[in-house]
Formats: sequence, C-alpha cells, structure tokens
Amino acid sequence: MDDNQDQDVIIQIDHVTKSFGKIHALKGVSTTVKRGEVLVIIGPSGSGKSTLLRCINMLEFPDSGQIMVDGIPVMHKATNINAVRAEVGMVFQQFNLFPHLTVLENVILAQRVVRKRKREEAEQIALQQLKHVGIPEKANSYPGELSGGQQQRVAIARALAMNPKIMLFDEPTSALDPEMIKEVLDVMLALAKEGMTMVVVSHEMGFTRAAANRVVFMDMGKIVEEGSPDSIFKNPTEERTRLFLSQILH
Amino acid sequence: MSTEKIGKGRLFPSVSDMEKWPWWALVIALAAVFIVFNIFNSASYQDAFGFIREGIFTTIRVTLTAYGIAILGGLFLGLGRVSKNVFYYNFATLYVELMRGIPMLVIILYGAFVVVPLGLEIASGLGTWMTRFPLLAGWGASLQHLDIQNVDMSARAIAGLAMGYAAFEAEVFRAGIQSIERGQMEAARSLGMNYVEAMRYVILPQAFSRVLPPLGNDFIAILKDSSLISVLAVRDITQLGKLYRARTFSSFEAYNTMAFLYLSMTISLSLGVKFIEKRLRRGR
Ligand SMILES: Nc1ncnc2c1ncn2[C@@H]1O[C@H](COP(=O)(O)OP(=O)(O)OP(=O)(O)O)[C@@H](O)[C@H]1O
Ligand SMILES: [Mg+2]
Repeated sequence: MDDNQDQDVIIQIDHVTKSFGKIHALKGVSTTVKRGEVLVIIGPSGSGKSTLLRCINMLEFPDSGQIMVDGIPVMHKATNINAVRAEVGMVFQQFNLFPHLTVLENVILAQRVVRKRKREEAEQIALQQLKHVGIPEKANSYPGELSGGQQQRVAIARALAMNPKIMLFDEPTSALDPEMIKEVLDVMLALAKEGMTMVVVSHEMGFTRAAANRVVFMDMGKIVEEGSPDSIFKNPTEERTRLFLSQILH
Repeated sequence: MSTEKIGKGRLFPSVSDMEKWPWWALVIALAAVFIVFNIFNSASYQDAFGFIREGIFTTIRVTLTAYGIAILGGLFLGLGRVSKNVFYYNFATLYVELMRGIPMLVIILYGAFVVVPLGLEIASGLGTWMTRFPLLAGWGASLQHLDIQNVDMSARAIAGLAMGYAAFEAEVFRAGIQSIERGQMEAARSLGMNYVEAMRYVILPQAFSRVLPPLGNDFIAILKDSSLISVLAVRDITQLGKLYRARTFSSFEAYNTMAFLYLSMTISLSLGVKFIEKRLRRGR
C-alpha cells in the first residue's frame, strides 16, 4: 500500500506450503501477480498447480506462508473469506454448474445471495454476461441440456456476473471435446484483452502465447522457472522445463 | 421353451413373459377383492370393519405428525452428521447411534414414559423459575402448568415414533448430502456464499430430490411401525383390531381387516414412490 511497487500487485504469494498427509503438494511457493496480468501455470500432473490456485481463494488452506489478495491477508483468521471470494471468480475443469437451476438462475444466484442485488438487476447482468460469452439463447435451458463448451462458458459468465477483480481458471478446457475448446479459449482471450487479471492453469499453448504475460512452470510442488511465454517456450533454462515442454509440444 | 430364450451372451438371462408376469400382485389383488367383498356382504366382516374403522384416522394422524417431526429432526441431525463443528457432529452422531441400536418398540415406550414426562418436568421447572422475572412471568406461568397428566397417549406415542425415525431420516439426509459432488460446494463457496447459503441454495435442493425415494420408503415404514403404539393403548388400527378380537374371538375377521387396511395404504404409497423414482430417473 505505502510502497509504489506494491500498488500494482494484486496477488502476492509468499513461501506457501501445503501438505495432504504425506504428500507435499506445495513446498514453499512464492510469486506475485500484477493487476491486469495474465499468468499461466504449467507443469506435470501432481505438481501442485491446482493446489496453488485453490490456495488463492482458500478452497485449500495453506499450512504456512502468506497470501495477499488485493491487499487482504486471506489466511488471517479475522479476514472474511467469503467477501474475498466474491472478488475472485473461479472456473473449474468440471464446470460445476448447479444442475437443478436454469442457466439464468445459475448466473443470478450468487449475485442475489452474496451481492444482495435486486432480482431485475441480477437478471439484467446475467443476460449481459451470457451475451458476453455468446449463449444468451440458452438462458432458460438446464446445464444438462448444454454441450461441455456451452457449460463452461456459462460457468465463466456465472463468475463474471459477480464483477470479480481476479479470475482463476483450473484447466478449463481439459474436460472438453477438441471441437469445443476454441469457443471457451476465445472467451478467455477476449477477457484477457479487456484487462482482467487472470491466473490460468492450462497447457493450451495457443492461448498462452496469445494471452499470457508470464508463464510459471511448476514441478513437484515448486516453481522451477518463470518468464515470458517466449522465453519459457523457446529458451527454457531448466532441464526439467525443457523435458516437460518436449512432452506436451511434440 | 423358456430355457431356449436364455441367451448365453446376455448379461442378465431374460425370463419368459409368463415368468415375468406379476403373479404376486394378482394374489394380493384377489385377497383384497375377497376382503372388500366380505366387508360389504358378510355381517361379521362388516362388524369388524365398523369397529376398526375409526382407528384408520388415528393411524394416519399419528403417522403424519410423527413423520413430519422426524423429517425436521432428521434434517437437523443429518446436517450435524456432515458438519465440521465438533459439538454438532458428535451430538448428531451420538443420537443416531443410540436410536439405531434400540428397537422401535423400546424407543416408543421410552419416549412415552421417560422422555416426554421428563421434558415436561424440566419445562415446568423452568416455568416456575421464569415466574420470578416480571418480563418472563407470562410465559413462565404457562410453562409451569404443563403436566404429564394432560398429555394424551397419542401425543406421547408420536414423540416416541418421531424420536426413532428422526435418526433414520438423519442418515437418509446425510447420504443425500454426501452424494452431491464436491465441486458443487466448491463452486458455491468460490462465488462467495457461506456454508449455510451454499447448503440452502445449492446442496440441499439437489440432495432433497435424490432422497425422495428413501424418504417415501421411510414413510411407508413409519406407517407400519405406527402399529407399535398399540402398546400404549392408543386406539389405532392395530389396537382396535386387538380389542375387537378380544371381544368377539373372531381372529380371522379382526386380523384380515387389519392387514387389509395396512396393505391398501402401503401398496398405494409404494406405487407412489415408484412413480417418483421413475420421474426422477427420467429428469436426470
Ligand atoms: N484433497 C486432496 N487430498 C489428498 N491429496 C491431494 C488433494 N488434492 C491434491 N492432492 C495431491 O497433491 C498433489 C498436487 O495436486 P494438484 O491437484 O495440485 O496437482 P496438479 O498439478 O493440479 O495436477 P493435475 O495436472 O493432475 O491436475 C498431488 O499429489 C495430489 O495427489
Ligand atoms: Mg489440477
């Protein structure tokens, strides 16, 4: 706050560790995300990418370290984590839409419950967001009637309707059939262009090249290397990064 | 013929149409026709039915009230069974384990003769204490005059049945809540809802529709178990049937009529449950 450098930092992660029993999912991870920045996290399965992302909005509680989100120490007992989460949208691999509600109700619910918006206002914002992700005509369908790509776009609209300051994406396209990946990535790309702060776990190279300001490579619970997409993809300094990239790029 | 139809490659060998036919339903239907015919035509069945008839309302009233309380209690306890709060979880678990280990008949006796009298005594003692404070005196006075003598046996029977069934419904709700994918709670929480809001708007509505069939089955079960309250001399179908037999020694008429009355209720209810199940499966 008092220091100029920090004014642009919206997420600050300091020496965060997290274990699940004997598994050390995060072994001291530190990084920062600036306002408006798009950070893409890559790394092999089990390297702790999801865990790190889920620590940012406290879906996982770290064992030690410090996390600041928009100046708020989220791990502090006194912090109202629900208020922080309302400012941090999250999109899951499995969409996690509410199957008992229509698409419109999915996008309205948290606006009403958390943001305390009036029905008309929430509905208007919901329709606007559904238009934003390109499926206003599905407003009255149920999630079960939608394709995977459409469901994921609704999930994005649901998160955006809260007017979050940050969006977290955990492999948003890896449960999708190949022909639907693009429609979701296009929405994400547009969001990045609008200046949304995004932290994305994804191995979509096209998206990363087009949208990412910075790429972080994680392995075994640690950040091995980070840099611009170009420097990571073309000139990785670490052998492990090179090995991993050769596997996913082949 | 029929053995030829059993294909070797089939996962489930199919039976012929004759074998699949619901013969059991035919038997029940014939028995029902026999009893209904007798109720209208035989003087002794008419007499038995006339005597037992008034018990139908008692059975239905006790069942519905006890079930309603059991559902509310079961929801409260079921939420405790999935709660991270140590006291809430342990209280709910203790209650469920206790109740599940005691026969329903004993629970009913316990409810009627221990829990309800004790509860009233405590309430009336509290009332006496409250009369010392001017603000609470009004409520205190009405509590003070609670007396077990004024509580009729059917109310005590309801308490016992509800106590036992609350534990069963708790497990139904627990299973229903736990059957909802983890991602639902996470999605709700990630949007900023607190635990209670997520439960109320996201988890419970889904859990409810999943547990409708077991809840329906438990309604049938509590209807049948309501016959146990005849030990408290509550004049339900069973008690009146027993009384009728004791008076007339017509065991056939008394017990056939009783069984018929219960069966006609349970079978129509179970058809209802099957219908709900089918609709839910289609709706998925
Ligand atoms: N809730 C949990 N309970 C137990 N272990 C867990 C849990 N969540 C994650 N883990 C373990 O922590 C480690 C890191 O998991 P994480 O999901 O963060 O990896 P990831 O990089 O996202 O992998 P993937 O690419 O497969 O999604 C793994 O070994 C995983 O098995
Ligand atoms: Mg993951």
